[in-house]
Amino acid sequence: MNDIANDMKIRLAVLLILIAPGLAVGTAAAAAEPLPQVRLFTTGGTIQSRGADRQTLMEYNAGKVTPQELIDDLPELKGVADLSYTEIANVGSPSMKTPLLLKLASEVNAWLARPEAAGAVVTHGTATLEETAYFLNLVVHSDKPVVMVGAMRPFTAVSRDGPFNLYNAVRVAATPASKGKGVLIMLNDEINAARDTTKSNTYRVETFVARDLGPMGFADSDRVVYYRKPLYRHTARSEFDVSALSDLPRVDISYTYQDADGVEVDAFTAAGAKGIVLTGGAGDALKRAQDQGVVIVMSDRKGAGRVMTSARVAARGIVTADNLPPHKARILLRLALTRTTDPAEIQRMFNEY
Amino acid sequence: MTLRKSVLCLLLAVPLCGAAQAQEIPRYAPPPPLPADTAALPTVVLMSYGGTIASRGQPRLNITNYGGKENKRVDPQDWLDDLPELRGIANIVLDDARGPADAPSAVYADQVRIARRMNELVQDPKVQGIVLTHGTNSMAETAYYLNLVVKTDKPIVLVGSQRPWTGLSGDGPRNLYDAVRVAASKQAWGKGVLHCMDQFINTARDVTKTKAYRVQTFQGIDVGAIGFADPDQVVFYREPVRRHTSASEFAGRDYPALPPVEIAYSYRDAPGYPIDAMVKRGVKGIVVDGTGAGSPTAEQTAAIKRAQAKGVVVVATARTRGGRVQDTPRRRDAHIVPGDNLPPEKARILLQLALTRTRDVQDVQRIFDEY
Repeated sequence: MNDIANDMKIRLAVLLILIAPGLAVGTAAAAAEPLPQVRLFTTGGTIQSRGADRQTLMEYNAGKVTPQELIDDLPELKGVADLSYTEIANVGSPSMKTPLLLKLASEVNAWLARPEAAGAVVTHGTATLEETAYFLNLVVHSDKPVVMVGAMRPFTAVSRDGPFNLYNAVRVAATPASKGKGVLIMLNDEINAARDTTKSNTYRVETFVARDLGPMGFADSDRVVYYRKPLYRHTARSEFDVSALSDLPRVDISYTYQDADGVEVDAFTAAGAKGIVLTGGAGDALKRAQDQGVVIVMSDRKGAGRVMTSARVAARGIVTADNLPPHKARILLRLALTRTTDPAEIQRMFNEY
Repeated sequence: MTLRKSVLCLLLAVPLCGAAQAQEIPRYAPPPPLPADTAALPTVVLMSYGGTIASRGQPRLNITNYGGKENKRVDPQDWLDDLPELRGIANIVLDDARGPADAPSAVYADQVRIARRMNELVQDPKVQGIVLTHGTNSMAETAYYLNLVVKTDKPIVLVGSQRPWTGLSGDGPRNLYDAVRVAASKQAWGKGVLHCMDQFINTARDVTKTKAYRVQTFQGIDVGAIGFADPDQVVFYREPVRRHTSASEFAGRDYPALPPVEIAYSYRDAPGYPIDAMVKRGVKGIVVDGTGAGSPTAEQTAAIKRAQAKGVVVVATARTRGGRVQDTPRRRDAHIVPGDNLPPEKARILLQLALTRTRDVQDVQRIFDEY
């Protein structure tokens, strides 16, 4: 295993020497000045997982990788940033629940508020990475870059994608041009926006895509390059503040299909949901939920394209989710419900974020 | 075979039933009523530069072999007559920028004329935006040229169609209607020259035609659309960060002629003599559309060195279309400017404009990094 890691280190070093004297020049120039201070917040995921052998690409449960091991594995980072770390957790995506999200948000906000902080990188399991990314996009109050990173192949696998993803994530976080672009997602050389990006494939390394809009830039060997800036509200311009909260309102998602009869909607209401995200009609259950004060948001199961509002939809008190997928509409609705239960006001938020 | 025969019969039979000249819009629902106060609507100049959207064909199933001498072109006024809805969203001012009916194709002189006219029109405080209809084959080139030479923050929207104005299920009317909506939108200001077809709003720099006949042909291969012309609203999610229009160092001036720049395509065994021939013809720049990440063949590389010795500036693009040609040490040593992710036909336009200001490879490199 160490041999693999060493082999990868050598290959990376060789690749960098071969293709990136631009970086080398940048490093030499930066040596005169202190490197930007980037903090790595680790939560776990595939990027911090070990497999039983180096061909294992699934069910890799042979142990965890610590933040220090991640950093020691990539000495090249020393040329990019003055890197420190805070371990939030070392868990897979399914275990990233609300208390951990709030803890992460609080730690990232505290770090970025420090004048010496240049940016933050967050390691995360890829299954729900986009949910945490969008959450941070709405509750981190800073223009400084926050970059989410993960891997599709474990730390121990041949042709693992994690190291270059992490190297690029730190570069992106240390790049001034990354400021003011909201929380970013960095895998597979592509810089994607938290709001618009989704995991689109179960195992391939090019899994993260923004179906409607595409990436905003690239972390290429010659430079970190941007072509786009997001226009919807985020980070420093967000109205949402979770700093005093220990939990968020319950919001559940009901998937629609032929013969779906709304039984889930009734169950969610009975369980105390304050909001429900739908991907289609729910018959009379929708009205019953609304009568209990539950806010209904209409998203869609196609994964691309907008759900539009209309006078008829608004008259029924239904909020439309624009092009947010259900799991992101849920996050925005939870935050919206910390401020209001008025569907018209929540619709404004869905139009702006 | 039976199906093919019957389609052929249909194609032959319909003209006998009488020619459909107007746009093939379903007439089963009336156009929406005009707003009470049309005087308050924004003024949008609708410039016609022809294209499929301004072409007629017969019969209505003909969506590949339209136009020509036997079919009258669609005059700008015909669009307004066929699409009265346009008057409901903007105060439309028509501006015919077409060349003569027998003009073979789009030529650079037309671009100069259109850019000059746009630079005039945007000075008029009443004008909120401009729509330019254009044939789809080279409209991405014209869009990028205008993106670099028109000095304005006002929306300029290029639009075309994949099916002629008379085609069954023609995309032209909806595209035209949406393009006018985008040009009339306050949100569209400051985003450079835009392209709107199939309800997608794309940027001039990044949009390219990707399919010969499908209506969803225009895409940004590397970076996608920046917004949509949806029925409820014109909505933007992104703005471009590369320099354009009012922030362009090339904008607001007239370029009656540009330095000659040609494109050499690369493929296995591609020889160097076409590049030598370009140099002999007096080109000032050459774009080499390389394989993979922008690699020419050894023969092309040797010819590039000979060209550079004569002062020709060389830019490398990648025939993969997606992805950037990067600034590598080997390329830098060879004084070849990486074309970023521009396709060769757009790298050519930027190089032509760059060469009006400099012959210095470093400065050309800066221009390719910024635009």
